[in-house]
Amino acid sequence: MNKFTKFNLMALVVGFSFLYVPIILLVIFSFNESKLVTVWAGFSTKWYAELFNNQSIKDATWVTIQVAFISSTIATFLGTIAGIVITRFGNFKGRTLFSGMIYAPMVVPEVIIGLSLLLTFVALAMDRGIFTVTLAHITFSMCYVAVVVQSRMSSYDDSITEAALDLGSTPLKTFFVITLPIIMPAVISGWLLSFTLSLDDLVIASFTSGPGATTLPMKIYSMVRLGVTPEINAVSTILVGLVALGVVSAALINKYQKQQTSPQT
Amino acid sequence: MKMNETIKPFIQFRQVTKKFGDFTAINNLTLDIYNNEFFSLLGPSGCGKTTLLRMLAGFEKPTDGRILLDGEDITDIPPHLRPINMMFQSYALFPHMTVEKNIAFGLKQDKLPSNKINQRVDEMLDLVELTEFAKRKPNQLSGGQCQRVALARSLAKHPKLLLLDEPLGALDKRLRDQTQFELMNIQEKLGITFVIVTHDQEEAMTVSNRIGVMDKGKVIQVATPNHIYEAPATKSVAEFIGNVNLFAGIYKGFNDTGSKLQCEHSDAVVYSSQSIDVDIGANIWLAVRPEKLEISKTIPDSEYNILKGQVIDIGYGGSFSTYHVKLPNGNMLSAIRANRERTSEHSITWNDDVYLHWSAKSAIVLTN
Amino acid sequence: MPATKLNLINRIFNGKNAVIGIPYLWLLVLFLFPFLIVLKISFAEPIVAIPPFSSFFIWGESFWPTIQASLYNYIFIIEDSLYINAYLASLKIAVISTLITLVIGYAIAYSIAKSPTRWRGILLMLVILPFWTSFLIRVYAWIGILKTEGLLNLLLLSLGITDQPLTIMNTNLAVYIGIVYSYLPFMILPIYANIEKLNISLIEAAADLGCRPFKTFWQITIPLSMPGILAGCFLVFIPAVGEFVIPDLLGGTETLMIGKVLWLEFFANRDWPLASAVAVILLALLIIPIMYYQKTQEKAIK
Repeated sequence: MNKFTKFNLMALVVGFSFLYVPIILLVIFSFNESKLVTVWAGFSTKWYAELFNNQSIKDATWVTIQVAFISSTIATFLGTIAGIVITRFGNFKGRTLFSGMIYAPMVVPEVIIGLSLLLTFVALAMDRGIFTVTLAHITFSMCYVAVVVQSRMSSYDDSITEAALDLGSTPLKTFFVITLPIIMPAVISGWLLSFTLSLDDLVIASFTSGPGATTLPMKIYSMVRLGVTPEINAVSTILVGLVALGVVSAALINKYQKQQTSPQT
Repeated sequence: MKMNETIKPFIQFRQVTKKFGDFTAINNLTLDIYNNEFFSLLGPSGCGKTTLLRMLAGFEKPTDGRILLDGEDITDIPPHLRPINMMFQSYALFPHMTVEKNIAFGLKQDKLPSNKINQRVDEMLDLVELTEFAKRKPNQLSGGQCQRVALARSLAKHPKLLLLDEPLGALDKRLRDQTQFELMNIQEKLGITFVIVTHDQEEAMTVSNRIGVMDKGKVIQVATPNHIYEAPATKSVAEFIGNVNLFAGIYKGFNDTGSKLQCEHSDAVVYSSQSIDVDIGANIWLAVRPEKLEISKTIPDSEYNILKGQVIDIGYGGSFSTYHVKLPNGNMLSAIRANRERTSEHSITWNDDVYLHWSAKSAIVLTN
Repeated sequence: MPATKLNLINRIFNGKNAVIGIPYLWLLVLFLFPFLIVLKISFAEPIVAIPPFSSFFIWGESFWPTIQASLYNYIFIIEDSLYINAYLASLKIAVISTLITLVIGYAIAYSIAKSPTRWRGILLMLVILPFWTSFLIRVYAWIGILKTEGLLNLLLLSLGITDQPLTIMNTNLAVYIGIVYSYLPFMILPIYANIEKLNISLIEAAADLGCRPFKTFWQITIPLSMPGILAGCFLVFIPAVGEFVIPDLLGGTETLMIGKVLWLEFFANRDWPLASAVAVILLALLIIPIMYYQKTQEKAIK
């Protein structure tokens, strides 16, 4: 049986402190009375109040939410198909190129992806705005979804699909009635992952967005360049809180679903 | 079950070959299986029996050759359109559906009216005795119960043919024995042709009407269990099914006693009443099953087929004992004897000198 | 239509190919094709126009266009030591950051894998949580800590460990901290997945044969967890080379990483062709690790 050895425990404590202390400090100082981010002057929620009056932040938030929702939904659709193709469709012509295109976006530096997409939009004479940002986000998000789905499919018992076919269900029907419900937790994880990536993206959005379509990260970045203020801390805290809520609920839902379905998939 | 030669076979494999890249899994195989049979495909791992079954189900396509079902060529028909159902080794139950819904699934694909579906599902649940478990999900069932759901699901559509892929492998011995007989009863009752793949020869012998023994992609012998056991066609079949004592040697001709074999590495001569069509001087083998070897401490009253040796090892099996006897030339033979007496007064023990004897009728000769 | 041609069309447009086609086409158009455009524009010259670069194809009286391309940008990059230094600096920073992340990440991944089973889920979630919060926000958080008047110096000064505030902000050290911090989850997760699947009996066998724990670790555990280590290193190194946000917010004038160079050429200098050339060279540098990474992922599927 495993137990916490001294070394392991120490590694975990130090490691997690490293990961979380900056975030915790960020949250604490969002409630700072003074404008300084390093000297505590008393508790205040005034920065949150200022946020609510900041129209440009509200606009940016709205843009970001739209882009995130639409791009994650389409990316999940495309990425799920890609993940299944990669695991189940064997050696089809052009498979190497396909798998290369699936894994590459995760490692290619964002500046390159952003630049290349912008130049493409220009070449296609497309005006930059919400539409182009959404297209860009779909493109790199779908690869992450594909990897999540592929990972799920690799531990999926193929004989379940065969059993359904054997009982008379067409391949298409089998996918919708049998496969998809079983891998749904992975698909939903993929959606959440895409949503977060879209919410968070700065570099690619900067390249591919246009006037009137400033995203929240772009807005925060421009605020940071002007100087560090607790207002940024406040925005950050809200975002962190929402994401934490999302991740924890996703984990709980996942745990609940695991208890419902058979362990032998 | 009579095998009438004029009855047309139900399943026909015609010169079927299956290659996976460079590897040939099935090699120009031709096989007939008849209606209402309980047929076993038996062989060691890698012999191709599962591949053959999957080709019948439609999950693999033959590289060459045709497969016919009831006279119809089904080689190019995809699995969801074949009137064949399969019971999978891993059971493959749909984890997100109840037992009821699992069984009903195949029936729903045929778009039957729901009252007919319910009726059929109830019938099946009754058949496998799982009526109280109808609303449970697979993760709430034991291994044996899952297996019965898989069986019910595969029988629900009353297919012409049921394929079973090592269905009893995951069960413990007692449950396995019990289920074997249940399977035989169901098969007879419903009149469906069963084709089962197994590596367990005891299982194949118990349940089958006929067995097809396979090795390296080819069918070596197709016969009833009795025939396979008592008249194996080759050395490999003889060795694969049960235990066997093999004598290698030179064929010396056929006389009143039978075929005469000059044992190699010894001056012993042994006989089998079976005749064989080879030239004198050819290399042949003589095979005797352990239970046909009589073992005794006194010289048997016979003119031939007597060998003397020493008991090296004894395996006690409750109802019978296996004696491993070493001959002067170093060969080991095994003899099985029922333990007829409760006490060990006249019994044979380690290091005893014993005589082994068999009748010529109990031995067969093999050329390969 | 002759039977064979109809058959071919049927074979191309059957269900399976249609399914493969949907994501395939999308990626071809919006991922692969853009790289070709970057390549094309890297051969152009910056002009005052919209778009701000010269055309590749000149359409004239003849049917085929003439191609107007120049290697000017590439020559410029190679001759100017600024760019060469930026590439080298980026590689150096990426390598060092990857190694630091590896050490810390492996320790954490190993500790989680060895912890009691009920804890593992929670610990993993705690690792993943920061990854899901905004990258930008987490980097920003470090500004407040590493500034000269920042919280770290406040702590060190008040504890008396130092008597002068340390200048960490706007130095390479801050960039290292930033990269390690941001990319840590990418290192932990593949290594953890790998260690968790390791056959414990291999380690037990080594112990049984008399191998001391430390030696077992080096000779058995590490080589067996190599796939996870490699995956983690690729996931950190490759994007780190082209990293922009971290050197921009935490780095100083001495830190010139190539990602930042590309950004400045594009947004500040409005020199799209030069930025494209920078991108092409960067991609060329990274293409071998990227292909290697893709190969290891493909192997994992098989």
